[in-house]
Amino acid sequence: MISISPLTQKKVKRFKSIRRGYGSLILFCALVALSLAAELLISNRAIIVHYQGDFYFPTYGNIIPGTTFDLDYAYETNYRELARRLETEASGNWVLMPPVPYNPYENDFMEGKYPPSPPSFSRKHYLGTDTSGRDVLARLVYGFRIAVFFSFALLIVTYTIGVALGSAMGYWGGKFDLFVQRLIEIWSNMPLLYVIIIISSVVVPSFFILLIIMVVFGWASRTWIMRTVTYKEKEREYVLAARSLGASDTRIIFFHIIPNTISIIVTFAPFSVAEGVIALTSLDYLGFGLPSPTPSWGELLHQGWSNLSAWWIVCSVVVAMIVTLTLVTFIGEAVREAFDPRMHTVYE
Amino acid sequence: MQKTKRLLIILLAFLMTLTVACSSDKDKNKTEKAEPLLVVNPPFKAPVSETGPPENIKWITNESDPVYASPEAVTGGTLRLAITDFPLTFRVVGPDSNSSFRSAILDNQLSLVSVHPNTENIVPEIATHWAFGDDKKTMYFKLNPNARWSDGVPVTAHDFAYTLEFMRSKHIVAPWYNDYYTKEIDRVIVYDDHTLAVMATKAQPDLHLRVALAPTPAHFYGTLNDRFVQDYNWKVTPNTGPYQISDFQKGKYIEFTRKNDWWGKDLHYFKNRFNVDHVVYTVIRDYSMLWEYFKKARVDVFGITIPDYWYNKTDTPIVNNGYVHKIWFFNDTQRSASGIWLNQDNSLFADKNVRYAFAHAMNIEKVIKTVLRGDYFRLEQGFVGYGAYTNNDIKARRYDLEKVEQYMKQAGWERGADGIWEKGETRFSVNVTYTHEEHTSRLVVLKEEAKKAGIELNLRRLDPAAAFKQILEKKHDAAWMGWSTSLRPQYWEHFHSVNAHKPQTNNITNTDDPEMDRLIDAYRNSLDEKEREALSRQIQAKVHDIGCFVPTFMVPYVRQACWRWWRLPEPPGTRHSEDLFNPFSSITGGLFWFDQALYDQTQAAMENGTTFPPVTEIDKTYLTGRDNP
Repeated sequence: MISISPLTQKKVKRFKSIRRGYGSLILFCALVALSLAAELLISNRAIIVHYQGDFYFPTYGNIIPGTTFDLDYAYETNYRELARRLETEASGNWVLMPPVPYNPYENDFMEGKYPPSPPSFSRKHYLGTDTSGRDVLARLVYGFRIAVFFSFALLIVTYTIGVALGSAMGYWGGKFDLFVQRLIEIWSNMPLLYVIIIISSVVVPSFFILLIIMVVFGWASRTWIMRTVTYKEKEREYVLAARSLGASDTRIIFFHIIPNTISIIVTFAPFSVAEGVIALTSLDYLGFGLPSPTPSWGELLHQGWSNLSAWWIVCSVVVAMIVTLTLVTFIGEAVREAFDPRMHTVYE
Repeated sequence: MQKTKRLLIILLAFLMTLTVACSSDKDKNKTEKAEPLLVVNPPFKAPVSETGPPENIKWITNESDPVYASPEAVTGGTLRLAITDFPLTFRVVGPDSNSSFRSAILDNQLSLVSVHPNTENIVPEIATHWAFGDDKKTMYFKLNPNARWSDGVPVTAHDFAYTLEFMRSKHIVAPWYNDYYTKEIDRVIVYDDHTLAVMATKAQPDLHLRVALAPTPAHFYGTLNDRFVQDYNWKVTPNTGPYQISDFQKGKYIEFTRKNDWWGKDLHYFKNRFNVDHVVYTVIRDYSMLWEYFKKARVDVFGITIPDYWYNKTDTPIVNNGYVHKIWFFNDTQRSASGIWLNQDNSLFADKNVRYAFAHAMNIEKVIKTVLRGDYFRLEQGFVGYGAYTNNDIKARRYDLEKVEQYMKQAGWERGADGIWEKGETRFSVNVTYTHEEHTSRLVVLKEEAKKAGIELNLRRLDPAAAFKQILEKKHDAAWMGWSTSLRPQYWEHFHSVNAHKPQTNNITNTDDPEMDRLIDAYRNSLDEKEREALSRQIQAKVHDIGCFVPTFMVPYVRQACWRWWRLPEPPGTRHSEDLFNPFSSITGGLFWFDQALYDQTQAAMENGTTFPPVTEIDKTYLTGRDNP
């Protein structure tokens, strides 16, 4: 199986020594981890409610109707109001709200004012609200989570297909290679954006439909590099040795060639993450992405663009995009430098 | 070396073809003067009836209804308007003719008679007198002998007979018109050059709406052939109205010019109207770009009904300095039946209790108060603004969580763990199909409020064509849409069981109710106005009772911004005006005029920086029985 070879260890060490990239990686991972726990930080549901001796943890799971806390409605408790009420009552009951007490879907309308409203610390809208009165920070964070995981999923699937097919092309060569090459050339001439526009005008795209469309059109570009390196790799002694031992083609490709070439692919991965985020954001921006009211950066960007006077919308999302994409680029550069073959290989 | 040379030659050749292609393109872009109109065809003569019109008919005319133009109006000036797309053809029938620009051409094509915008009485256009036959399907008309086509040829009764011939011709490639003029209009009888009768195929109420044909210039079209569609794409057809296309450049602009000595200019209802000399439509493809054009005074009028424009975007120097006036004009016209249409073939909405609960879970009032800034009004039912045909007792179901609870429990549903109602395997989760991105902000509020009531809304925005297809195939749960209006409410297409449970009909709620069918049939067959009005009100009560339609908003007004040299009568529009600066409509158009003195004054003021007090005119003449905004 694939184990960490001394060579890889060396690369990792080298990567760690590039402080900007390594720092970016840590920060990026921290952001992703934080976004996973977003419900605890940004939500209209309280983290803990202590009411008449009982503890409630409403964050995950089913709704707790207002009647539980002796409120006069059966729909989900409004914890912000509950917190305010319990505070004034001072009866020993209390509510611990997340730092941002809004979820990305609810509209917070103020009396006599119309959204978007500027950042306000007193109302805990740290980045203001969007044109529908929804918290910009909440939508940024939840939008980030969706975009990043979309892009991870896209990366994994396209790379799996691209690497496998690319290796096969390089390894078998000949007619198979020629045929698949032409297929890819034709396939990559299909205009992705138009296809998405057409599809999303007929069905409302969901996370998975979008993912499938992007995969269907995204795998092709991943094959070329693998094909080239496999061509080179398959002539080398260890491949010949494996073959002479009677290893099957699949085994040679997956257990010998890919582990030895993976570093080349890895250097592209961070940039692909950035590409994925940009792709989803631009689709949402154009209105062909995930359906409303899914929180999304593209939608925020669109809102910001058409309401430039509400500077906090466009600023928030632009800064968020710049930060994310810069982090990813730093990581990518560091990975490329760390995995640079000139540092590690000596050509025969 | 040889190779490079060859490549160079090829490149050079390519470049040359490019330049040639470009220059020929330029030639094509030359301004196209409208072609001179020539009488080329022998006049069309329909067979003249040997007997005259019946003796016992009573000729009527109407010169006594109030006029709504201003006697102060003077002629002159150019009104500059914008269109988003250049029309694909100037034909008004046949392929590609159904563009929004068509109305500009059609409005200059007068009919026999028309309807007064304030009183809804019949008023003359090309006919001076009219009479109703006893059979309730024939109307007789006497034409105005002065009526002329724009090329000077007199309008005769034969031109109306030719309309039928023309509209029924297969050469115009317009199946809908072929069908309509065959199935609805039986024939046109010509008694002499200025007397005719138009006969509908069946007796009907409001006969004048059906048989008031517009003439078609027989001398211009002559005998039609299968080259009609190509030949008449860019021909300027003679018309009878006040303006005619005088100049255009494809893709850029179209200019209309007022006729020098228009035959109708002194008629009772046309006097002091149609005042500007020219109306120019420029193609401006983007709405925000149009706003910039307007701010630079390169377009005279701009629609600011949208709250964002009325409140925010017009907070700009040209308005604050008083160079541009804002007008908020309330009208009282038929309102689009816009709202949420529930598909009763969907098992979820089969139960009336569930439909009622759904209606009570829609917090339309909150949307109006928040997203729409209190600018829109609640639509109480689908047929508001039809005068006596409207049942004003109906009030839309208001947001009420207790009622939702009560109806859902009656229907045997229970709240699930996530707060959404459940019954067996079914969750009360509804896909709402809609088309306009601007409506998303309204729907997200409804969604959040509905969640409190235990109903999950999934917003499904589709491209208009795809959404309409889904809805007409009755594959939707709930459709967020509005219907266009007509002078009288139409029920058969929307609520009769004949149109239920099958694709491509307008009964998108799949309403199938025997009592409803009885009412609609009676309404359709009745020739008595009072009875029809009563039936109409009953049908509306029945629609409310079935609860398959949740009415949402109406906008009982129009808001426009115009440069201050434009003047309007008092009140600035009519009961049915939807655009105060409509230049051509024979019913509501052409009321404004250009004030040269104000123009000079404003231009001078803008140059030396003096300002005027800002003007926001709010006209409530036709705001009836509603709270003031």
